Amino acid sequence: MTAGDFNPHILGFFCHWCCYAAADAAGVSRYQYPPNVRVIRVMCTGRIDLRFILEAFGCGADGVFTGG
Amino acid sequence: MIIAEACRQVLKDVGVNPERTALEWASAAEAPRFVELITRYVSAVKSIGPLGKAEGENKEAVIGMHLKAGAKAASALKVRTALGKLAKDIKKSGDYSPGIISEGVTKKVFPAFREERLTQEVQICLSEIGPCKSADLSEKTGGGIKEIGKILETLSRKKMVKKQGSNWYGIGMGNQES
Repeated sequence: MTAGDFNPHILGFFCHWCCYAAADAAGVSRYQYPPNVRVIRVMCTGRIDLRFILEAFGCGADGVFTGG
Repeated sequence: MIIAEACRQVLKDVGVNPERTALEWASAAEAPRFVELITRYVSAVKSIGPLGKAEGENKEAVIGMHLKAGAKAASALKVRTALGKLAKDIKKSGDYSPGIISEGVTKKVFPAFREERLTQEVQICLSEIGPCKSADLSEKTGGGIKEIGKILETLSRKKMVKKQGSNWYGIGMGNQES
């Protein structure tokens, strides 16, 4: 597999009030961005726990993006 | 911030590149900034490569076990108390600089996590593989001989493992939840 066709599975933890709304706005205004991120909405970034991130990697995620 | 720093140190311990995680901020009105952040992050992960393969040869199974034990350890009482205490101390001192946070995590949270992770891993090894020598356990879990010895001692005091000859056996494992 070359670096060119590797499509990483990325898990995104987005804050409902900030990054999630920003992602929404990006969609509405038709900005192009990579489709690799699977989003989990949390009510606040402070909700995110060490365990969430470790389990995400345990389930095979290639990266975890936390957006506040 | 404390969680993010703890996360980086813990990931390094379990053998995952800490660059795989990111903590970024974009407000609801900053769609272009969000797009830029995501694009940059995805290309960074792409350049690191797939989980496991990029970390080294035949590391996938090992990292998988480390992560399984790590996830359990992250919810352990000791680790949580350490995180809470550190947050309280930092709030009291009012100094939130990255250096102070990193130092606090290294001193207080990380040792608790590592001990807890190794304990979990010793138990997983003993219940899945069966009787092991302490040198094998040390090799599989990535812990030092001394660390493993201490953990086995604690576990045997709790009557969770026992020694016969040079092998260690798990007692009543496999059907218990932490």
